[in-house]
Amino acid sequence: MFRFDPYSPEIDADPFPAYATLRAEYPCFWSEDIEMWVLSRHKDIVMALNDWETFSSAKGNLVSELPGRQGSTLGTTDPPRHDRLRALIQKAVTKRALTHILEPARATMHKHLEALKGRDQFDYVSELSSRYTVDLIVYLFDLPDENLQTVRDKAVLMVQTDPKTKQKGPEHIEAFEWMQDYAARLVEDRKKNPGEDLLSQFILSEIDGEKLTDKEILLTVTTLIMAGIESLSGFLTMLVKNITDHPEVRDALVADPSLIPDAIEESLRFNTSAQRFRRCVMKETTLHGQTMKPGDFVILAYGSANRDEEVFPNADVYDLSRKPKGHLGFGGGVHACLGTAIARLACKVLLEELLIAFPNISKVEQELRWMSSTNFRSPLELQVKI
Amino acid sequence: MPTVNYISFDGQPTQLELAEGMTIMQGAVMNGIEGIEGECSGSCACATCHCYVDDAWLAKLPEMSENEDEMLDDTASERKPNSRLSCQIKATAELDGIVIHMPEEQE
Repeated sequence: MFRFDPYSPEIDADPFPAYATLRAEYPCFWSEDIEMWVLSRHKDIVMALNDWETFSSAKGNLVSELPGRQGSTLGTTDPPRHDRLRALIQKAVTKRALTHILEPARATMHKHLEALKGRDQFDYVSELSSRYTVDLIVYLFDLPDENLQTVRDKAVLMVQTDPKTKQKGPEHIEAFEWMQDYAARLVEDRKKNPGEDLLSQFILSEIDGEKLTDKEILLTVTTLIMAGIESLSGFLTMLVKNITDHPEVRDALVADPSLIPDAIEESLRFNTSAQRFRRCVMKETTLHGQTMKPGDFVILAYGSANRDEEVFPNADVYDLSRKPKGHLGFGGGVHACLGTAIARLACKVLLEELLIAFPNISKVEQELRWMSSTNFRSPLELQVKI
Repeated sequence: MPTVNYISFDGQPTQLELAEGMTIMQGAVMNGIEGIEGECSGSCACATCHCYVDDAWLAKLPEMSENEDEMLDDTASERKPNSRLSCQIKATAELDGIVIHMPEEQE
């Protein structure tokens, strides 16, 4: 009998065969393993994302939710409160508002690439993508210089899940609590000494003359640090994994760097780090002959939607010329990733500089260890040859 | 299913039937219609799904949010009185037959 268990290490490593079966045979699948529905077709997921009144985020959006986030972050509230919260940050993260990050991003890439000169091989995750990401987030949020390695480690740990107990383990909850304490000190400091950074803007905001609640501020700041550090570095890792798995793509980008945005979009489609998010059914809904009841949780498998042949022909092929639109690499609808413009700029600068410094960067045969997570997918280490 | 008429910048029409609840932006990007980008995936955060709504349909549209209004100040092509972001318009029975004109550029 077919099963789908997003806690299993096999799904962490390669969810795509299971997604194909889900799309073809069980488009609205009840997973006994996790007692949640799973939607896998592009069209169904888009409809669920559009219909937030039926598929609510307010009961949490992580497949294995962290305590207390429900109703208190951008990702875990519904309109209209969500839209007002989001509008507070939105303007600071549009493409046009972010040109100021280009030079700092380039400078940090130069610094880290310089340190790698003379090496034959290195771990792209620990020695490049995570350091670059932390530097960018430090710049955007004006984080203090201390404890940055710990901030990164906790951000990566808090999104993980335990494959044996099928929930968050004590170490994941502890990492989340550590990050909340870190965020609390930051919030306290910014209230006293507000700056120009993104967090200060959010912390000092009001909605209709009313201040945000302390809980909203704390959990949103915690989530922004988590997403900024973990999701961005996770995707930067998948991006370079794709480039090194497809040397012909790497060569095309070296020859013509103007194709880099196409490589980024195709990577977002082909294997985004944001594989799955969760919604809660609010109204009885029948889909593909299955009836979902109020209170049931539903997984929206973005990673599967992005391989749906109905929308993306030859979906299992990484095709630089595809220029995919409408992919769900950043999710979609009102809750689509807040950081799309940051992510695209960060990816572009990284690839431009990386391919100038190491135009022959290539794959090393290795057994990849994948992060254990019901939401996100990226390897914990990626050795590359230069 | 509601019908949407997309008219390219050079005047080429394409008619699509969209599932009720699908946005005009999603209809375009999922069916390979050029002229709509949708970079922010439909969260009203980028203005690359800018379109001009045929005047006959304007009054039937849902009211524009403050955020959409601000985003429309940042369009690549000229903002006009009938400018809207197509990610904010869902296909419904009431909008059956709506006519959408594409701008010259989105970026």
